[in-house]
Amino acid sequence: MPKRVENWSEEEALAFFHFVHTTYNRAESNAGGGQERHFLIAGRPVRLQFAGPGLIPALTPALEHLKDSPGSPPELTVLLWDSASTGTALPAILSRYLDVLGEWWVHLGPRGEIKEITSERIRAAYHLGPNIFSMIDLKENTALYWVKDSQALPYYELGSPLRTILHWWADRGSCQFVHAGAIGRSDGGVLLAGKGGSGKSTTALACLEAGLQYASDDYCLVQTEPQPFVFSVYNTAKLRGDLDLARFPHLAPLVSNQEREQSDKAVLFLQQYFPEQVSRGFPLRAILLPVITGTEKTCLKPASAAAVLTALAPSTLFQLPGAGAVAIKAMSKLVHAVPGYMLELGPDIAQIPVLVADLLARG
Amino acid sequence: MDMLGYFSVKKPDVVHETIDGETVIVNLENGIYYSLRNSGVDMWNLLEAGANLDELTEAMIGRFDGSQDEIRRAITELLVVLQQEGLVKVSSTKREDSQTDLVQPLNEKKKFDVPVLEKYSDMQELLLLDPIHEVDEEGWPHKAEESGTGNAEEG
Repeated sequence: MPKRVENWSEEEALAFFHFVHTTYNRAESNAGGGQERHFLIAGRPVRLQFAGPGLIPALTPALEHLKDSPGSPPELTVLLWDSASTGTALPAILSRYLDVLGEWWVHLGPRGEIKEITSERIRAAYHLGPNIFSMIDLKENTALYWVKDSQALPYYELGSPLRTILHWWADRGSCQFVHAGAIGRSDGGVLLAGKGGSGKSTTALACLEAGLQYASDDYCLVQTEPQPFVFSVYNTAKLRGDLDLARFPHLAPLVSNQEREQSDKAVLFLQQYFPEQVSRGFPLRAILLPVITGTEKTCLKPASAAAVLTALAPSTLFQLPGAGAVAIKAMSKLVHAVPGYMLELGPDIAQIPVLVADLLARG
Repeated sequence: MDMLGYFSVKKPDVVHETIDGETVIVNLENGIYYSLRNSGVDMWNLLEAGANLDELTEAMIGRFDGSQDEIRRAITELLVVLQQEGLVKVSSTKREDSQTDLVQPLNEKKKFDVPVLEKYSDMQELLLLDPIHEVDEEGWPHKAEESGTGNAEEG
């Protein structure tokens, strides 16, 4: 059985946050000064402050469509650095602490949350594999993001960067981070919910090809009040394997990670090639649950609210450190507010955007 | 299994929502999620409200039309399963916020069906569940593709 870990007090967690913050300051100084990038996420100004240039090409392409000019005071500031490109090793005590987190079955929750640092104000997570350390002070709306080497980030972090931090932050506002695609028109669109492999990406790309607006293929922000609305976070599209590339052959040359492991998905940043079709968000008219049926005809059938919640909630909750009762309540509220449909996918993907456009035309 | 005491949902590891007559239950600790329908929803609401076995039985008999023995047996069996799955816990004292009196008998009882907890474990790979003890020479955990650790990513 895992050993029980004692929660740090909020003061201890805050002191630790400040200590890690000084590590960022040192990296920024070593790298010759910070570089800022500004984005409008869910309509709110967010500043990413990089210690040096190393992480910028890795983390910003996915957010490019939300680029904003400096001006409004940021509602969230994220300080980002990596040790390799800034030439700044972590202080020994911090390095040792992260080593200790390697005993993750003791210190980490199942979603990477650092068990001892969980308070109303301070959250921390350690994403094993790429070894990404994320921490946020929700009172000051300041977050820290560290990775050992910017060159070693996996494709999914390039495609949907800062997911944990953005989830923590948005959760405190009126928005909920969800695992879902989103496509539509400027006056209204649909959310695509379901676990990996259900057909979200294929549906989203088929609709993109047909001229619809694209807001997400896997992670986005939603709100129910004042009206159901989806906010795009990433302009990323992902394709898995040769079959997906065969379906969309003209996208193959646009893939950003041409040299990838066979198990990695191909990642495309749509803002670079389809800027007119990448949307910052639109009102939500329905939630569709794609399911690959193999039947001849692609069709829409009403889905129960419970089926929609089941498609949306577990896969969202399991991927977001700290998401719980508030998140499932928010998703339930959204599911109540818009109708749900099963999108039964046949082999002819050209039928998908026709159905979606028909649904949206009904108002 | 413990049948003596007051039941409640094992928060915060377990979250749930009832929507259009179906309760979706998610165990955040092990990546398994569940569904309850019909009489199972009523029973879950009573557990959430902090009922003990007697209160649960009385309330269910007051709301459902069926053999009392069958209802009692079904309640006991579901309680066993819910505890085995780590979804509910039992405490010896009644919660201060217990609201079992809110679940009233029905004038027109519903037909009783044996509640079934439907279980789904198809998303467990998204969580960190299997401990490994190897670390590399620098003391860092191996990458996911090398060792199977690391949170998976959904597409």
